[in-house]
Amino acid sequence: MTIVKPIQIDVANQALEAWNSLGVAGRSDALSRSLKGLKDAQARMAQWQLDNAAHAIGEADVLPGPTGESNVLSTHGRGAFLVTAQPDFEAERTEVGLVGQLYAALVAGNPVITVGPEGQALMDNIAPYVAEGVIQNVALSAQDSLLDSEQLAGVAILCDDQQAQALSQRLAAKDGLLCQLVEETDGDTLSTIGAPHYILRFVTEQTVTNNTTAIGGNATLLELGSKAE
Amino acid sequence: MFNALEVLQPTILERPLDELWQRISPLYSADEEKWLTELLALAEPTDAQLKASTEAATHLIEQVRADGESMSMIDSLLLEYSLDTKEGILLMCLAEALMRVPDKETADAFIKDRLSVADWASHANNSDSFFVNASTWGLLLTGKVVSMDETKDGKPANLVNRLVNRISEPVIRKAMNQAMKIMGHQFVLGRSISEALSRGKSYRDKGYTYSFDMLGEAALTADDADKYLTSYMQAVESVGQDTYSKGYRPTISIKLSALHPRYEVGCEERVMTELFDSVKQLITRARELNVGITIDAEEADRLELSLHLFEKLFRDECTKGWGSFGLVVQAYSKRCLPVLTWLAALAKDVGDRIPLRLVKGAYWDSEIKLCQQRGLSGYPVYTRKESTDVSYLACAHFLLSPHTREWIFPQFASHNAHTIATIATIAERHGATTNEYEFQRLHGMGDALYNRLIKEKDVCVRIYAPVGSHKDLLPYLVRRLLENGANSSFVHRLVDASCPVSELVDHPVTTLKGRKTLRNPFIELPRDMFKDRDNSYGPNIEIESEWRPFKAGVDAFMGAETQWTAKPIVAGDDVTTDDVHAVTSPYDHSLVAGQVHWANAEIVNQAIDSAHAAYPAWSQTPADERAACLERMAKLMEANYSELVAICHREAGKTIQDSIDEVREAVDFCNYYAQQARQNFAAPKTFTNYLGENQTAQFAGRGVFACISPWNFPLAIFTGQVAAALVAGNAVVCKAAEQTSLIAYRAVQMLHEAGIPKDVLHFVPGNGATVGAPLTQHPHIAGLAFTGSTGTAQLINRTLANRGVAPVPVIAETGGQNAMIIDSTSLPEQVVRDAVRSAFASAGQRCSALRVMFVQADIADRVIPMIAGAMKQQTVGLPYLHSTDVGPVIDEKAQKMLLEHIEIMKKEGRLIAQSPLPEWADKGTFVAPTAFEIDSIDQLKDEKFGPIMHVIRYQAKDLDQIIDTINNSGFGLTMGVHSRNETTCRHIAKRARVGNLYINRDQVGAVVGVQPFGGQGLSGTGPKAGGPHYLPRFAKEQLA
Repeated sequence: MTIVKPIQIDVANQALEAWNSLGVAGRSDALSRSLKGLKDAQARMAQWQLDNAAHAIGEADVLPGPTGESNVLSTHGRGAFLVTAQPDFEAERTEVGLVGQLYAALVAGNPVITVGPEGQALMDNIAPYVAEGVIQNVALSAQDSLLDSEQLAGVAILCDDQQAQALSQRLAAKDGLLCQLVEETDGDTLSTIGAPHYILRFVTEQTVTNNTTAIGGNATLLELGSKAE
Repeated sequence: MFNALEVLQPTILERPLDELWQRISPLYSADEEKWLTELLALAEPTDAQLKASTEAATHLIEQVRADGESMSMIDSLLLEYSLDTKEGILLMCLAEALMRVPDKETADAFIKDRLSVADWASHANNSDSFFVNASTWGLLLTGKVVSMDETKDGKPANLVNRLVNRISEPVIRKAMNQAMKIMGHQFVLGRSISEALSRGKSYRDKGYTYSFDMLGEAALTADDADKYLTSYMQAVESVGQDTYSKGYRPTISIKLSALHPRYEVGCEERVMTELFDSVKQLITRARELNVGITIDAEEADRLELSLHLFEKLFRDECTKGWGSFGLVVQAYSKRCLPVLTWLAALAKDVGDRIPLRLVKGAYWDSEIKLCQQRGLSGYPVYTRKESTDVSYLACAHFLLSPHTREWIFPQFASHNAHTIATIATIAERHGATTNEYEFQRLHGMGDALYNRLIKEKDVCVRIYAPVGSHKDLLPYLVRRLLENGANSSFVHRLVDASCPVSELVDHPVTTLKGRKTLRNPFIELPRDMFKDRDNSYGPNIEIESEWRPFKAGVDAFMGAETQWTAKPIVAGDDVTTDDVHAVTSPYDHSLVAGQVHWANAEIVNQAIDSAHAAYPAWSQTPADERAACLERMAKLMEANYSELVAICHREAGKTIQDSIDEVREAVDFCNYYAQQARQNFAAPKTFTNYLGENQTAQFAGRGVFACISPWNFPLAIFTGQVAAALVAGNAVVCKAAEQTSLIAYRAVQMLHEAGIPKDVLHFVPGNGATVGAPLTQHPHIAGLAFTGSTGTAQLINRTLANRGVAPVPVIAETGGQNAMIIDSTSLPEQVVRDAVRSAFASAGQRCSALRVMFVQADIADRVIPMIAGAMKQQTVGLPYLHSTDVGPVIDEKAQKMLLEHIEIMKKEGRLIAQSPLPEWADKGTFVAPTAFEIDSIDQLKDEKFGPIMHVIRYQAKDLDQIIDTINNSGFGLTMGVHSRNETTCRHIAKRARVGNLYINRDQVGAVVGVQPFGGQGLSGTGPKAGGPHYLPRFAKEQLA
């Protein structure tokens, strides 16, 4: 089997670390500057995705645990995401849905590759506000090589049921990491893209456990030992 | 419960020794309210006694404060750098690590890291002590520079940061090291006994005597233990030659953990022979030279073991008739009073007196933490400081009673003026003269207090003095600072002139009785440490009163007559098949644990069809009811602890602690997912949608979920996946690994018993071909949770995608190539302990296990031999024995693959060490824990799931390259980091693409709801098991 390594994935992966390190707030700041270039309905969807991300994954979770230890759960982008719509997918809100996918993928911390002229317009609108490689666009003809890449972290697509099945089969046929398919098949109501937990499909999680006793964390516990009610 | 007042009756010592012994262990984690009520009765002073002790304490404190030289240098330091300030903590961290960092680059980076985040300038010249100001000076470089810059810039933290950046680094490093040496000098009496004796002369002239302690951490290797024995022996020789003629003769304090690399209950046989021999050797020589020996107290888990050893030594000829062999007992231990009564009775039985040092206790913080981590029944120590003080005084009553004094020579160690004054009062009450007891204090602390006492009373005061190099001092220093640096500490408050004397002379009985509850409500019991769910319970197998019933329970299932039979369970019915497989124990293939009837495609299809039909009703069942089933399941597993542990041993070859942890994790999964479902699935949630309209979202099940689990966590992962799918509203068809279907079968039975409808949950044992394939090919499967290899996950994903139905969620947890990065600021002893556990616990058969350790070249030559030494101390053996550290690997296939890799590595790498195997290892599938040094992670093509660790040296400057290499492997499950430099830790955490990162600890044993577990990239899809995002992936989010 030929190993496909499109240059766009390499570029995206190089941008990943810096883009991730901005955090949800930093990415949201950058992306919100692009909203003025969108149509009203698209801008509303984009803003909603940014707000939803801030609510759902904006802050790292400090988890409970034994004294003398800190446990923090945070989310990060998965890696390069292809964001697209099936070319012949006709639905009421395809344009808005595409924007929803794009902003969700980006604000979650993923570098994104869009496709075709619609993708190009969206990319042109966002590119001035983000670092190079965070958003790229390819021609429809180049999409296949991206789909076959073992390093593609996920595909977010507006499509019909048949296309979703076919794509799922194609992505599963690859070796490498299990490429995530985030499909929206209801282009009229956008019931997937518009759901509050949609953003979680684009993230990977990291738990950092720190034995703070090694750096004096137990002083807090000692204080507890003599605390009065 | 033990009747505390009874200890004041002389008849207590006439009771059989064994009966008194039996009273010790049950108090290990006794109910604090009840037990303190007993102790209060013993410690409660009469009005006259209270008045006398308050007056005596007030007098003592006033005199100390009036004394011009009241504040020792250490006291001043603790006052200035209290641990409730950031600087206090940073100073401690700097002191703990700096002197052991061999390379300049790392030392400079570490100093910069510590100094740049605190407000050192605010401490400049605050103290009257030259020593403190010298330290501050060292920390700031010069007060002059600081004060100049302060006028320009009001932010001293930034200022110091700039200074560190600006001034040449060697100068700072030198200044810092100097500051640390000054501190070290204050805490350590001398680098050798002869230096200590010489420096201690001035104190002896004042009337003090000494007990010397050779500094050092617990031994991890036989070499370490030998070194400490030699060092103690030299100490005995030196003290033996001491010619100082006045006062009491100095003694030596010894730490048993320094004299044996495995001073622990599981190794009792070795402790009672090898360690016994070492201590006997010391005692014999010490007795010849008339140098008293005292055994120091250590962690609560070792108390009973230490008493066994003490008794054996005390009854031996080497101590008979001597009267100078003693030990230390900690008053913060709930078992303290019964231990003292047993010791007094032992002394009476043998006919020799025991010198006994009563201390308050030195490991309080770690005792609390460990109990919480292990889900123990309670705490072995009191949760309030004043309760320890009450216990101390109650014990003092017993020790000073005439019937006890005959057999025990009490030595009271305290720096608390009130405690000291009260002890003296109690002594008078019991008619004890000042030559019938003594006081003890730490070198460098409480000088003023005891200088005054020694002047006023003719009583012996012994100084406990650490001896050793400044480098060895540091861990010791940290503990002392933690004990005494906190604001509440008496030492701190004594020297703080703003603290009124009246506050310092409160009797602890009065203080404690003034509390609403005797137990500290701010420190929840381990069971209650989570606000919204129960923590799982774990028995403490180091404690006799918990170990015995636990072992008896498990033993009932360990005989060959106990056999389990697992069959497919479809709609609640066991299905007998012709495809029957015997399950043999991985540690001895001649032992059969039971039989498994494998399912086939037809049975799988029946199960799926039944589940499909049951799904609608189950998905409509309120989330609260579904959650209640899981909570009942959690309770059922705890009720069947013994059986589940026995199956873990016999079917999976798991060791005792691993089996306990297995059950605990399964219990935690059930309780956590139940709580999560109640919180997020019970009712629709309203939100504003992208059109600005209010809408509701409700999670609902997806249909029939397939759950496929591995053999390495045969109960925990199996139960976790199934419980999550069920509580989210799905019907479930589950398949356990073919190696471990017995325990899974029992879990399914229990889930049904817990209330999961029988047609909602079905069990189909078998292998990938017979069960896995038909399960994943079925069009009704609406989602799948899988844990196993990356390759199998890809295969399953393909099969599911090829069914010609809508894509379904695949939640896959797969392998890793887990690394640990160790820089030169880390503590080698801690690194070795954590690396050995991370790599070899559970025979390395954990997804999270350490495979590749990157160690900074500057410390590699110290760390690698220590790892080799620690590996030699590991016991590979029968998993159901307490003495076993590492059990077998799961089967012959795994064994063959691992042994082949070891052979390849022997050619391509350099063997560091291999733990010994038992002679009979051929009976089962054992692989000796093995470590190799290699040059690059690229030498490893894939994960080797077993007890094999690879070690790679790296240069400090190449850290980023190392992170890139690890990231480029594509795997991203766990990573360990050992560094005291928080900037380094943050940098690695930010760059490493791993799911679970562990700093300054081992990297295995993630706890549900505390450390959500799962990887990224080739290591899994997420979401993390045991985390808040897990359940939503099992559900549809329906908008209305």
